[in-house]
Amino acid sequence: MTFLERKIKNLGRHFSAGKPLAKFYPVYEALDTFCFTPGTRTSKAPFVRDAIDLKRVMTFVVLGLMPCLAMGIYNTGYQVLLARGEALRFGACVWQGLFKVFPVILVAYAAGGFWEVLFAAVRKHEISEGFLVTGLLCALIMPPTVPLWQVAVGISFGVVIGKEIFGGTGYNIFNPALVSRAFLFFAYPAQFSGDQAWVAVDGFSRATPLAVLSAAGHGGQAVPALQEAGYSFSNMFWGFIPGSIGETSTFACLLGMGFLLVTGVANWRVIAGCGLGLLGTGTLLFFSRGPESLAFFSLPPHWHLVMGGFAFGSIFMATDPVSSCATNSGRWIFGLLVGTLVVLIRVFNPAYPEGVMLAIIFMNAFAPLVDHYVVERHIRKRSARLAAFRGEAGCR
Amino acid sequence: MIAVFFAGLRMNIIQINKGRDIPLSGAAERKKVLCALPPVVAVQPPDFYGLRLIPVVKPGDSVHVGSPLLEHKDDRRVKIVSPASGAVADIIRGDKRALLAITVRCDGKQSALSFPKTPAAEVKHLAPDAVIGQMLSAGVWPCVRQRPFAKIAEPGSRPKSIFVQAHMTDPLSPDLDFVLEGQEARFHAGLEILKRLTPGTVFVCCPPSARSRAIQEASGVSVVGFAGPHPAGNVSTFIHHLDPVQKGDVVWYIGAEDVCRIADLFLEGRFNPRRTVAVTGEGALSRVYGQTVLGAPIRHLLTGALLESSRYISGSVLRGTDVGLDGYVCFYDQQVTVLPLGGKREFLGWLRPGWNKYSFSRTFLSSLPRRGTEALFSLDTDRHGGQRAIVLNHLYDGYVALDVLTYFLVRAIVSGDLEEAQRLGLLECADEDFALCAFACPSKFDVGGVIREGLKLIETEG
Repeated sequence: MTFLERKIKNLGRHFSAGKPLAKFYPVYEALDTFCFTPGTRTSKAPFVRDAIDLKRVMTFVVLGLMPCLAMGIYNTGYQVLLARGEALRFGACVWQGLFKVFPVILVAYAAGGFWEVLFAAVRKHEISEGFLVTGLLCALIMPPTVPLWQVAVGISFGVVIGKEIFGGTGYNIFNPALVSRAFLFFAYPAQFSGDQAWVAVDGFSRATPLAVLSAAGHGGQAVPALQEAGYSFSNMFWGFIPGSIGETSTFACLLGMGFLLVTGVANWRVIAGCGLGLLGTGTLLFFSRGPESLAFFSLPPHWHLVMGGFAFGSIFMATDPVSSCATNSGRWIFGLLVGTLVVLIRVFNPAYPEGVMLAIIFMNAFAPLVDHYVVERHIRKRSARLAAFRGEAGCR
Repeated sequence: MIAVFFAGLRMNIIQINKGRDIPLSGAAERKKVLCALPPVVAVQPPDFYGLRLIPVVKPGDSVHVGSPLLEHKDDRRVKIVSPASGAVADIIRGDKRALLAITVRCDGKQSALSFPKTPAAEVKHLAPDAVIGQMLSAGVWPCVRQRPFAKIAEPGSRPKSIFVQAHMTDPLSPDLDFVLEGQEARFHAGLEILKRLTPGTVFVCCPPSARSRAIQEASGVSVVGFAGPHPAGNVSTFIHHLDPVQKGDVVWYIGAEDVCRIADLFLEGRFNPRRTVAVTGEGALSRVYGQTVLGAPIRHLLTGALLESSRYISGSVLRGTDVGLDGYVCFYDQQVTVLPLGGKREFLGWLRPGWNKYSFSRTFLSSLPRRGTEALFSLDTDRHGGQRAIVLNHLYDGYVALDVLTYFLVRAIVSGDLEEAQRLGLLECADEDFALCAFACPSKFDVGGVIREGLKLIETEG
């Protein structure tokens, strides 16, 4: 037994039944199993188990988010320095970014963790690792200007209403991080929309690419309008644009996607479905454009991929296995509809220039219905197969 | 998913693409060793799922091979008999007086009760009722099990087909083709007798590479090879692909070696207690196929220094029973697995690269290509993590060789919707079919346990 193991074991005395801290045993358990694997042995078949556990799964999602976090920190600082007209030195960008982003993450984890521990203590179950992902996701989809108290309120709402009242990780209907974001979006529209939210400099105003196109209205041309506002395909792809902390860089999202797909943690069908749905709808609009149609119609479909939070949402949020569909065909349908809805909301809804959050939440609500029809079809196919066997047996 | 094609003239091959083999180290050498008669043997009532057994002997009673030890309360014709001659040593009970085992101290003579003999040429003319009657009275009947519910067959039912299991794909499982070598005549006679019991087909399900004459020369039956990874060798897989059970149907299944046991009953007029048990697993020093009797003590099959701290499993790591070093091989098991106990706590286990940690997922370095002896892994009984609610619900379906949506089946059972569970195919399943799901689940969810609960509920509630 190592020194640390002994220390932790000694600490455990205070949390055992009857001791004052007994209620907080889940906290001790979380610390204990964070440091050392539980070492529990199987008591019945199957006697051997895969080395993976939920801690590792969630850790891998967090690792997959690292490129987005790094890029988010850098870009937040970059936008600040750009707005102030200061020199864009790498170190200065990172420092400025850390200054803005770190407190947001800290508050998200602290507030989310508080509710997680409270519910674990009341319900007497172990603290679920899902919150490691929720906390980081929630921080990464906040605008860099967000007041910290709003982060705390938002994640509290997301964790409690979005997850815990359904029974905790594994039982939630909606993605808790998106619930936080949606709550804040509708509760505090001033801080979550408009042109002043996206660069962390007081009073500085710059429209996001989606807002630019939304404002271009009828008859405008999309690409020139974007270029006039200083947005090109490449700087949107690399992510040097204003936006929510972690969502701007499609490149960073793709790095994360590669990691999640290679390790098999995320399901590729949802991501592929999202991409195809978005491109399909975008293409349809592109070819049905007329001289008087909305500027969005003239946007080449692949531009949709790099704009707004689409890459981030489809890779990290739509793929949440619990709140998306649980059948393979269902995952395709889910993804395709998310992609389609993203374009429809972006183009036809003047109130919200960004559609990813609403599209995913909307499809989260419909995922059980999609699954229901897929399962019913499966059952019909099953009984047809069984009937075929019965027919054969009758002939014999 | 399934490609059916003809290999050679006789054997249909069914390719199973779902599932996966666990590359566990410690396979048994292809060598049969005749074990001495153990000093004591046991008959263990918990092995006989579906029977309510009551003892018909007392400690001290003298018994022969084939003497009844237990009877089924609901149908006294169903008996469990002694695999050895000698005296009843003990009747072991557990909590709430549940019967755990009857042990028999062997006298070494193996004197057997005798039953009517039938000449080999006559077995194909036996009446079905006569066959069932003799199997019941000699205690061979419990070898025959049925689906749905994976319980011992009801003597009154007529199966639409019978499946002979000559293929197992569990980790380190015995090569039944090898076990059957040298038992051709008995196996073929046993198949003839089984054919008397069903109006349908007798399927012999074997590995596609089966070479033994027992399988190659079996006639009048349908020989089907199942290719692919585990669970290609599960009974449910055979039944699902050849003659699936539906509501109201019954099929029977029986192990290949038990087919020979039936033949012996009719040809030689005695209960043959022989059982070949493969000794496997890293913890066992000498790993061979031991030829012993039913209910042999685990200790008797193992040689060399035995660690108290190992896990002694009757059966495979996926569906066996932890019986301990002083336990006995279960009635249906043809394998003993000795595993290291494991369970050492590791610092920051969730972050380790894990070159030596086996996982179906690709989250460890161990999933990089490996060669030679490195391709096998030493696994212990560490559960590798705490239990959580199911999160990664996309993993299960890849490991079940049946046409079922595992996650939805589990959900239907947990929420008590047995109607839906049956529509999703619960009747075709047994808990063992989901062992790989439970293996792979990062939430360490007991999938098989839920399936077993569901089947039990349907059986009792109708």
